Parts: sequence; structure tokens; C-alpha cells
Amino acid sequence: MEGLAQALVTGILIGGLYVAISVGFSLAFGVLDVVDLAVGMWVVLGAYAGVKAHDWFGVDPFIFLPVTFVVFGLFGWLLGPLIYRVRTSRYALPALMGLAFTFGVATLIRGGMLTVFGYTPRTVQTDIVSGSWSLFGIVMPAIRVVGFLFAVIAVAAFLFFLYFTRTGLAVRAVAQNKESAGLMGVDVKRISSLVYAIYTGLTAMAGMLMGAVYSMTPELGLRYTLFAFFVVVLAGLGSVLGVLVAGLFLGILQALTTTYVGADYTLMTVFVVLFVILLVLPQGVSKFAKAVRT
Amino acid sequence: MSAVLEVTDLGRSFGGIAAVDGVSFEVQQAEIVGIIGPNGSGKSTLFNLLTSVHKPDRGQVRLFGQDITRTPSHKIARAGLSRTFQLPALFVNMTVRQNLWTAAVEGDWRGAPELANEVLELLDLAHVSDELAGSLSGGQQRLLEMGRVLMQQPRVVLLDEVAAGVHPRLRQTILGAIRELRSRDATFLIIEHDLELTQDICDRMIVMDAGKIVAEGSFEEITHDPHVMEAYLGVPAE
Repeated sequence: MEGLAQALVTGILIGGLYVAISVGFSLAFGVLDVVDLAVGMWVVLGAYAGVKAHDWFGVDPFIFLPVTFVVFGLFGWLLGPLIYRVRTSRYALPALMGLAFTFGVATLIRGGMLTVFGYTPRTVQTDIVSGSWSLFGIVMPAIRVVGFLFAVIAVAAFLFFLYFTRTGLAVRAVAQNKESAGLMGVDVKRISSLVYAIYTGLTAMAGMLMGAVYSMTPELGLRYTLFAFFVVVLAGLGSVLGVLVAGLFLGILQALTTTYVGADYTLMTVFVVLFVILLVLPQGVSKFAKAVRT
Repeated sequence: MSAVLEVTDLGRSFGGIAAVDGVSFEVQQAEIVGIIGPNGSGKSTLFNLLTSVHKPDRGQVRLFGQDITRTPSHKIARAGLSRTFQLPALFVNMTVRQNLWTAAVEGDWRGAPELANEVLELLDLAHVSDELAGSLSGGQQRLLEMGRVLMQQPRVVLLDEVAAGVHPRLRQTILGAIRELRSRDATFLIIEHDLELTQDICDRMIVMDAGKIVAEGSFEEITHDPHVMEAYLGVPAE
């Protein structure tokens, strides 16, 4: 019983970071109509930014978090218009071209990182957070608790922006109907770039914290892309609120698998569950919840 | 009076079929011009070309003397041109009120809540203001589209069958809103199948068939025009 409670707490703590990784990914899909296959690479890049901040400048990575958001946000701001251009081109199959473009970006980042940093796994070192706390016999490593708290704050700020600001309203309008949003005077291209910038900044910050929990190599980008994909599909494509449930669920599923089956079986379990869920709830949990309510 | 909207030789084909084929006309300030024509005559495509939803293959559109032929939609909207769609293109997962606010995101944001309340009252949508736009009836959705136009406080308005399927009482509300905007010098292009309504409100009519303008003039003139009879009833022109 204690093992189950421990697994649940561990899962929820790490699930928070999965939510932080996936929430921007979900919105970027809604606004740009592209499944960004580079999402996992932004996670890994964020982690390596933390590693190198420590290596090169001796700066504690957690102090570096706001800088990470700005720097990666700038990357996103520059890359967003290119994705928009590919996605809205009048050539054949723009949706497929968008996928190919982000796959190319992911491949480029992965190859570049392997060349520069190699295959050796690295962990983000921090002196600010260390040790662990124990509550009713359940051990909670401080780094995971901090990661979870960061995720709660970041996601709350993100949702506040989306649901309570003028620009957030424009973003939601673009996600729902681009043509109509444009005719309301909303600059769809600018909003798309903004969303991509927020998404890359947020994902890289979450990646830096993830890198403090698990060791990272550039090869792990694909794993996080698959995890983000799992969360967004389970949530229902484009549903930001569904991501909250699905992200925590992924964390718990991973922790239960690690506790009762073995860490090596995590990916297999995740995809068997995703397969079953797609069979039972093909539109994701948010649509299911809506159907139950009505 | 000066021309607010000048359209010259506008054309667009889809897969070899000319949806709009060399259309030219002018609309003066505060004028209400009706566009009629059978289904598939190119009326809605014309609106799409005027608002950059589709890019024209040829021709030119000038708004207040500025060339807007290839200007992005959002810049056209900011220049004061607003429109509705034949099938309402609302933000269906937003509430009615949020839909109205969206129309003010790039305009008078501070005044948006108050203006939205006025529009909700005017269009009799106050009782559904917090419901999702997607849950409204077809008629209410058209009213909400009209509401978004009012929120933009436009100088030129394109209405695509805005009164179709709307309760007769609410139609009067829409007509009242159009007259109110016109009294503030707004200019209108109105696609409408309801000839009674167009007769009631339009200063001038344009008749389209097969992508071309086949007649232009007052309601009396066009209802006696043999080309119009042919387009509508299939009676050959003498």
C-alpha cells in the first residue's frame, strides 16, 4: 500500500512537468495546425542549457530559468514564421510539409547536439535544491517537488494569459478559426509566432527541470516527443485543459510501471495504454468529459 | 460623394471555372448596394476576394483610394472593412460575449465590455450572452455575426445573407442596425436572396450571373431587366 502511495506521489510530481511540456505543444498545434515533432528536442536543449550554464559560467541553472525562457522564446519567435509559411503555402499537402519541416528541425538539433555534446548522459546540477522530504513515509525528493511547483506556476501563468488577457483572446480566436480571426483584425502570423515563442520558452524551461530529475542525452528527444504526443492525443488534440489531466496521468502511469513492472517497460506500457485509449475514447478525455456532462 | 470601394476587372478561377470573371463596380460613401444573383453566380467569392480570404487572379480592389488587392485580411479589417459569412464563421467554443470582445481585440478594447452590452441588447442576445456560440440557433448565430460587425465599428460592411433564417422580428432589428450604421456614414454591400428586403433597404442593385455583372441599377430597373429574368427564371433575353 505504501508502495502504491509512493508511486502515485512520484507520478504526480513528474506529471506536472509533463503538463508543462505538453501544454504549449498542444496550443502550438491548435494555432499552427502542425504537430511539432521537435518538441522533445526543446526539452533536451533546455536541459543542456542548464548543464552548460553550470559548466561554462558556473551559474546555478535554476537562476538561469528566466534567461532560458527568453533565449528559447527568441528561437521560437524566429522559427514560428517559417512554420507558418510552410503550413499556409499554396503548394500541395501543406500539412505534410509542416510535419516534414518540424521533423527536419528535430533532426538538425539532434545531430548538432550529438556532434557538440556527444552521447554521454548529463544531469543538470543545482546547489539551490537538494535532499528530500518525507511525509507519512512517502519520500519526496526536493528537486521533484520544486519541479512540480514550477510546473504549477508556469501552467497557471500560461492559462491566465490564455483566458484572461486581450492577446490570449486573440490566440484562442486564431486556434478556433483563423479566417474569422483575421477578419476581426487579428494578425494570424504574428499570433502564430508569439504562440510558438511561448511554447518553445516554456518547454525549454520544463526541460531544464526535467534534466535535473533524469539524466539527458540528445537521443532522448524522441522519447519526450512521444510523451508529449501521448499527452496531447489523450487530452484530445487542441484541448489545453485536457492536457492537465493527461499529463498527470502519464506521470502516474510511468511511476506505477517503474514500481511494479520495471523502468524498461515504461514506453511499452505507455503505448499499449495509448492504443487502448484511442480504441475506447478516440476523441480524447476532454470530449469524453464534455459528452458525460451534457 | 467619393468612391469608397472601387473594384476593377476582378477575376478568380477555381479549377478552370471562372467563379468571378472581370467584375468592376464602385460604391459611394454611405450607399447601400444590394448584390443578387442565382446560387453559384459568384457573389460570395466576390466577398472573399474583397476581404483577401481568396487572392484574385487578376484585377484590383481599392478601399478609400488605397490598393488592398493583396493586402492580408487583418489589415483590411483594421482599415475599416468588416464582413459576415454566408455560413456563420463564429468562434464556436467561446461564449457569445467573448465572440463580441474578439472583434475589439485590435480596436477599442477598453470600451469593448460596454459596447458588447449595447450590442447584446440591440440584437436581443443578452439572455444568451454567456452561452457558447456553437450552441445558438442558426438565426442567433447570424445575429452574433452581425454583432461582431457592429463591435468593429466599420466604415464599410459586407453582409452575406445576414437575414436568412432569422425570425421576422429580428430581421427588423438587423435592418435597424444597418440603418443606424448608415446614419454614421457606413457603406454597405449586401448579398441577399430576399428581394423584399433588398427593395426595402438598398439604394442600388447589382445582379450577378456566372461570375459576371449582368445588370446594375435601381430595384425597379433591374426587376424589369431581361438579363435578370433570364438569370433567375431561365427565360431567354429578347
